[in-house]
Amino acid sequence: MDLLIANLAHGFSVALSWNNLLFAFIGCMIGTAIGVLPGIGPVATISLLLPITFGQPATTAIIMLAGIYYGAQYGGSTTAILLNLPGEVSSVVTTLEGYKMARRGRAGAALTIAALGSFFAGSVATVLVAASGPLLTSIALSFGPADYFSLMLLGLIIAAVLAQGSVIKSVGMVVLGVALGLVGTDVQTGQQRFTFGIPELSDGLGFAALAMGMFGIAEIILNLERPEARSVLTTKVGSLYLNREEVRRAVPSVLRGTLVGSALGILPGGGAALASFGSYMMERRLSKGRAEFGTGAIEGVAGPESANNAASQTSFIPLLTLGIPANAVMALMVGALIIQGIQPGPRMVEAQPDLFWGLIASMWIGNLMLLIINLPMIGMWVKLLQVPYRYMYPAILTFCAIGIYSINNNVFDVYLTVLFAIAGYLFAKLKMEPAPLLIGFVLGPMMEEHLRRAMLLSRGDPSVFIERPISGTLLAIAALALGMMLLPNLRRKKEEALAG
Amino acid sequence: MRINAKDLFSGLILIVIALVGLWLNADHAMGTAQRMGPGYMPWLTFMLQLVLGAIIVVLALNSGPDPLERWAWREMSLVLLGMCVFGLLLERGGLFLSTTAMIVIASLADRTHRPLGVLGVTIFLLALCWWVFIHELDIRVSVWPQF
Repeated sequence: MDLLIANLAHGFSVALSWNNLLFAFIGCMIGTAIGVLPGIGPVATISLLLPITFGQPATTAIIMLAGIYYGAQYGGSTTAILLNLPGEVSSVVTTLEGYKMARRGRAGAALTIAALGSFFAGSVATVLVAASGPLLTSIALSFGPADYFSLMLLGLIIAAVLAQGSVIKSVGMVVLGVALGLVGTDVQTGQQRFTFGIPELSDGLGFAALAMGMFGIAEIILNLERPEARSVLTTKVGSLYLNREEVRRAVPSVLRGTLVGSALGILPGGGAALASFGSYMMERRLSKGRAEFGTGAIEGVAGPESANNAASQTSFIPLLTLGIPANAVMALMVGALIIQGIQPGPRMVEAQPDLFWGLIASMWIGNLMLLIINLPMIGMWVKLLQVPYRYMYPAILTFCAIGIYSINNNVFDVYLTVLFAIAGYLFAKLKMEPAPLLIGFVLGPMMEEHLRRAMLLSRGDPSVFIERPISGTLLAIAALALGMMLLPNLRRKKEEALAG
Repeated sequence: MRINAKDLFSGLILIVIALVGLWLNADHAMGTAQRMGPGYMPWLTFMLQLVLGAIIVVLALNSGPDPLERWAWREMSLVLLGMCVFGLLLERGGLFLSTTAMIVIASLADRTHRPLGVLGVTIFLLALCWWVFIHELDIRVSVWPQF
């Protein structure tokens, strides 16, 4: 316990440096902005801003990128409540009760409970990350190569199972991602694989080019082909204060939401969207105000909004302790760390204490900032919605193009991004999910290394994956997860949950 | 037959990429399970991809109908053409010229754009990019054309 406090104190001393505070603030502001704006998600934004963070120390870069992710959860609730327009997938369920509350003249109260609930959940989740980090790390250090391989396989399978749409297509996308990750020089033998003699490809396909093309640019084209849904703010925000009755009803929902969100965030493949839906289902069954659901029940805002913020913090746990990304945003974080020369994994807590504890402390500071950014400045964010998309997309495009060039000062990366944009657009048109592909792309090279090492140690005997207890258990869970999706009943439930 | 065209094409794409990958991979030494050569993991990956693609195709034959969607060719080609022109112009023409060309071309993709609006966006973005990328980050690229 003393050690935890000492570590947290160290973290705060890192996070409170001027530069880190500034970048946490920038991250939270950008995150809120993209949370408010529909059509721009955290994955696209983080990939867009990756190159800008390269000049910064790794800790500062991750602090800012993390701020964007959890900031987006705050911002997403604003438009969901005021305009019935979810800024992010994770705030889809907030529209159900939040907008009804706004129609009843309680928009201010809904916004307040969303922000306060998020703040509370974020604080609890931060402590959870801090406490579980070193614990999980010590477990992870006893992992052998076979266990790592199985863990990554489990992560990939759960990411595919929980992705939107058909499971088998998502598994296909994961494998395609692994295949794309093979391009480049083979680490062990130095042989060039699938490079077609192009020198730029000997380091592998650019991670930033892939992410920006498939998420950033492809999203621009998809947004352009849809006619813009202009929304006008008609509801008054009203008083931001909660009345006594509302406080009494919201508190248990916030507590439950925090619990559900923290748990679902840790799951590989889980994240904010899953958490908010899980909490909504729970509130509709359990809360005292369940009879009022559909007419603007405060529980339906308090629970999910707490849950999605808790989840966005705890989804850092697998990344920071095991080096395994739980979702597409975390895959981007892995990419950012690798470009900075840091190999994510269980040794990170010891080798990079500044980064680990600094990030945790900055999450709490960031949540406090977001509370201030969001509540009093709500009017400003709503105004942002009035900027038409035709002024926004040239800016995104410009930042993408210059940013991608600046990574290696090579125009080849710009053309590579164009190719990935075409692929991303094609995938969207065929309902192939790009998020599992990104996770496969990041994990693929690590998996190959662990597979080779495990098989070398076992003298080519594949039964090592089943016989080692950790690895065997992980594989059994993976098989179970895949098997469960074959049951039609569960599959339908998942579709309901993710369709929003 | 209720063909799911989206899934059918998804499966076919996976199959084609896997076959091309396996063909290219024929050049790489496989090695043994104990000492894997550079071709071992690609072989595993593409074989798995081939099988998955085949399953997706088979399932697609009776899970539809889900027809293909229209492509926004105009929007896509203008946005991507803008990026390519940026790439072509950047090193000779400098940051300002290449960025302006990209913004103008990409702006044609949205029919509601007006010339004055495009001008405003361009000036604003040039100033912002100069500040972020030249003044703050100092990426090594010239601002004005090189002769």
